[in-house]
Amino acid sequence: MDLIRIADTLEAELIYAPKGWEQINVETVFASDLMSDVLMSDRDELLLVTSLSTEQSIRSAGIVGCETVVIANSKTVTEGMIELAKDQEIALFGTRYPKYESCVRLGRIMEP
Amino acid sequence: MSPEHKQPLQSSLRVQELIYGLRISQVMTNKVFAVSRNCTMRDVQTIMKNNSITGVPVVDNKRVVGIVSMNDLMNALEQGAMEECVIRWMVGEVQTLAEDMPLSFAISAFGKFSFRQFPVVNKKNELVGILTFRNINMALIRELSRQLREMEQKNEQPPEPDSLVLAKVYQLHRYDFENGGKASAEMKKFLKERGIPPKVVRRVAIASYELEINLVAHSIGGMLGFDINEERVKISSHDRGPGIKDTAVAMTEGYSTANEWIRSQGFGAGMGLPNVKRVSDEFAIESAVGMGTMVQAIINLKTEGSNENK
Repeated sequence: MDLIRIADTLEAELIYAPKGWEQINVETVFASDLMSDVLMSDRDELLLVTSLSTEQSIRSAGIVGCETVVIANSKTVTEGMIELAKDQEIALFGTRYPKYESCVRLGRIMEP
Repeated sequence: MSPEHKQPLQSSLRVQELIYGLRISQVMTNKVFAVSRNCTMRDVQTIMKNNSITGVPVVDNKRVVGIVSMNDLMNALEQGAMEECVIRWMVGEVQTLAEDMPLSFAISAFGKFSFRQFPVVNKKNELVGILTFRNINMALIRELSRQLREMEQKNEQPPEPDSLVLAKVYQLHRYDFENGGKASAEMKKFLKERGIPPKVVRRVAIASYELEINLVAHSIGGMLGFDINEERVKISSHDRGPGIKDTAVAMTEGYSTANEWIRSQGFGAGMGLPNVKRVSDEFAIESAVGMGTMVQAIINLKTEGSNENK
C-alpha cells in the first residue's frame, strides 16, 4: 500500500516527508497512544497511528524503525516533532479523523 | 544547549565504570576500632587519639548498635561525662553500608547524609569495616593511576573512521523529556552506519531508549554510558536516586510508580525495565534506596549465540 493512497483515505495533511516518500510501502500498521507498547512490539511496524502528539511519539517511532507517523484527531504538531521527523527521516501526517476511525479507514483499504 | 546539558567528557565513562565496578569491600578500611556498649567515653577518646580516627562504632555481638563521633565526644567532654558509658552518648540508629554495594552507592550516601564515616556490614549484618571519604579518594586515585599506566603502555592508535569501538556518556536530567531519546537516536545512527543488522540495532535502540526514559521520568538525574566494541554494546545506566526498594517488583511487567504527567507522555505502563531485559543478551540491575540504581544491559553484535529472535 503506497503512502499517497493512505494519505488520501485519511484526508491527511502532509506535515513533513523525506525525499522519495511516495515510494514508501506500508504493509503493517500499529495504533497506540502508549509508547511503552510501541517499544514492546516485535514486528517491523511501518506506520504508527497515534493521538499522542509529542516528541516522544516521533522518537519511539524512530526507535522501532517506523517510517511513517500519522497524528490523529487534529492534534497540534509541534516544531520539535517536525525537527525530529526530519532528523529521523520519518514521514509525518496529520488527520482530522480520530484514532479509531483512522484505523477503520486504513483497514478497509488494506484488506486484500 | 544550556551549559548544564553539556555532555560530560568521555573519560567520565571510565570514572563511572570505576565507581560502579569497585565494591565497598575493596575500598573500606578492614581494621575497625569498635567498642562495646559498656565502654566509657574515655575509652573512645583514647582510641580516637591513638589511631587518629573520628568515629568509633559501638557493637554488640558484632552487630552495630551505634556510633560515637568526635561531636558526641565533645558533648560528653563539655558535660564532664567522660567516665559514662558510650550508650548514653552514641548516636543510635546508624546508617550502615553493605560490603557488596558498588562504590557509587557509598558516594551517594555521603552526599545524602552528613556522616563522616559509615560502618560497613556483611550479609549477616556484622561489622566488617569502616568507610570514610579518604578511603574513596585513595581508591579512586589508585585505580585511575593504574588505568592511566595501562593506557600509556598501550600503543594508542587513532581509531579508524568506521571503527565500531566507542565509549560515550550522556547526562540526563529529571523530567527533561526533550532530551530523553537523543542518546538512543545517536547510537542507532552510529550502529546503522557501520552495517549492524537492523534487528540488532533496534534492540540496542529500544534498551537505550527505555533506560533514557527511566532516567528522566524516575530518577533525580544520572548518566547513560555506551561502551561498544566489535563484539557487543554495553549500556550502563547510573542514577543518583531515589533508588528502588525491591528490584524484583520493579521488574514485574505492569508495575509502575509513574505519575499522571509521565503517563501523559506515553510512558509509565510498567514495561520499561522488563522490556530492556527482553531485548538484552545480558541484564543486571542493582539498587538501594537513597543511593541510586544501576542497570547494565549487554547486546551482542555477533548474531551467533545472541538473543536473536527477541
